Amino acid sequence: MTTDSDPASADSPEPRRTFLATLPAAAMAGGLLASYGTFAAFCGRFLYPPVRGAEIWHLVRPVGSFPDRAAVDYRTPDGQRVTIRRDGSSGTVADFVALSSTCPHLGCQVHWEPQNTRFFCPCHNGVFDQSGAAVSGPPADAGQDLPRFGLRVESDLLFISLGETA
Amino acid sequence: MNRVVRWLRERIPVSGEVLRELTNEPVPRHLKRWWFCLGGTPAYLFVVQIFTGILLAFYYEPSQSTAYESVRYITERASYGWYLRSVHKWAATLMVAAVILHQLRVYFTGAYRQPREINWMVGMCLLVCTLTAGFTGYSLVYEQLSYWGATVGANIADQVPIAGGFSKRLLLGGDSYNEHTLSRFFVLHAAVLPATMVFLIGIHITLIRLQGVTELESGEPDDGVPTYFNFFPDHFATELAIGLVLMVLLSALATALPATMGPAADPLTTPEVIKPEWWFYVTFRWLKLFSASFAVLSMGLIVFLMFTWPFVDRWLRRICPRTELSVWIGIVAVLVLIGLTVWEAIVEH
Repeated sequence: MTTDSDPASADSPEPRRTFLATLPAAAMAGGLLASYGTFAAFCGRFLYPPVRGAEIWHLVRPVGSFPDRAAVDYRTPDGQRVTIRRDGSSGTVADFVALSSTCPHLGCQVHWEPQNTRFFCPCHNGVFDQSGAAVSGPPADAGQDLPRFGLRVESDLLFISLGETA
Repeated sequence: MNRVVRWLRERIPVSGEVLRELTNEPVPRHLKRWWFCLGGTPAYLFVVQIFTGILLAFYYEPSQSTAYESVRYITERASYGWYLRSVHKWAATLMVAAVILHQLRVYFTGAYRQPREINWMVGMCLLVCTLTAGFTGYSLVYEQLSYWGATVGANIADQVPIAGGFSKRLLLGGDSYNEHTLSRFFVLHAAVLPATMVFLIGIHITLIRLQGVTELESGEPDDGVPTYFNFFPDHFATELAIGLVLMVLLSALATALPATMGPAADPLTTPEVIKPEWWFYVTFRWLKLFSASFAVLSMGLIVFLMFTWPFVDRWLRRICPRTELSVWIGIVAVLVLIGLTVWEAIVEH
């Protein structure tokens, strides 16, 4: 046993002692932050839903079986209702329009009112013409038309895009 | 018997004296009037909600394929299920009303002023939690209003700049209403919100206890009656009487106007006429009057101003010391709220 271990001796300078004393505290703080931070990140990731994958094309029906100058009600595999209208007879994608029936305002389903030739949203009184353009109500104020789905004609078959709306 | 008391005293070393000291908060005389007891009313109703909510959870099944049928089972087949569900529904309605009335009382008596600013903000958090609990509650029934209410609510969240899309996805568990949505609403309604509210009510009451109940500025006439009375048993008896009246009222409402079942949710058809619960009529009408982003941002600003009102009020009093501007603003706000609510209530669209 020697007296060298005396903390007040000149061999143990103050800065080094302070550094050594804070090291465990810093390690503890870092460890807590890392462990609980990782835990919190895992919890957050668990709660946040996975982002939708790439764009998917779904077959609607053969172009030939689509009535001319008519509209059909189509339901996507994920449950959305789409009005697909045929306005031409060239057999190309330019003949078709696919309008979502989900109001762009706050997501309610619009109703087609044949007597008024308009789509009407009962939630907040949004009105759209037959091409899906907003005419009055909050959607018109914000310039929100009915969303359109992308369409493609391939080998005489009509496909609809369930990715981003055009 | 004495041995039991002695055994308990050894293990719980709290005497009657200490208990009296802890609970005998001096209560200002004006609290003898019932309308000053509106803070205890939502607290009592919250306990009713916890109790009936736990019972309902024994039968409720939070999934799209089972939710509606499980609520129907509770309503039509489980013994006294109709009564418990109706009490739960009416207690929610009365709780929203009581919280709003309590807040109005605090506002118009200036009880939010220094040093009670933090407690006002805690109260605002409790108001938001109460409204959110109401919203998630009626979403659970999975009738048409539940489905479209949840859809509109999530899309309102989506309008918030920066965090909107994130909040919507987090709330719904996907881009739109899906098979995970209902269980999220259930967890929020039955676990997250009640736990948060217990925590906030704890802080609210602790702060009231630490700061004391606000004295009325107008004062009371000097008629020889003591200015303060004891919390226990005097004020406790008042709260007990309110509890009795509420239980009778809840049972009467549940029996006379029981909770019914609307049509089951149909994700493909929004009903021709759709309205939320009455406490969201103002928001619903506001959303019809303005574009979604303006409506959401303006509502956010109003809620922010409500949160920070003690500080706004201090600023108003500094620039206009002779007029009670806050009272006039409050009167106008209440009239606008009533006007929008009545407007939404009487029109179809």
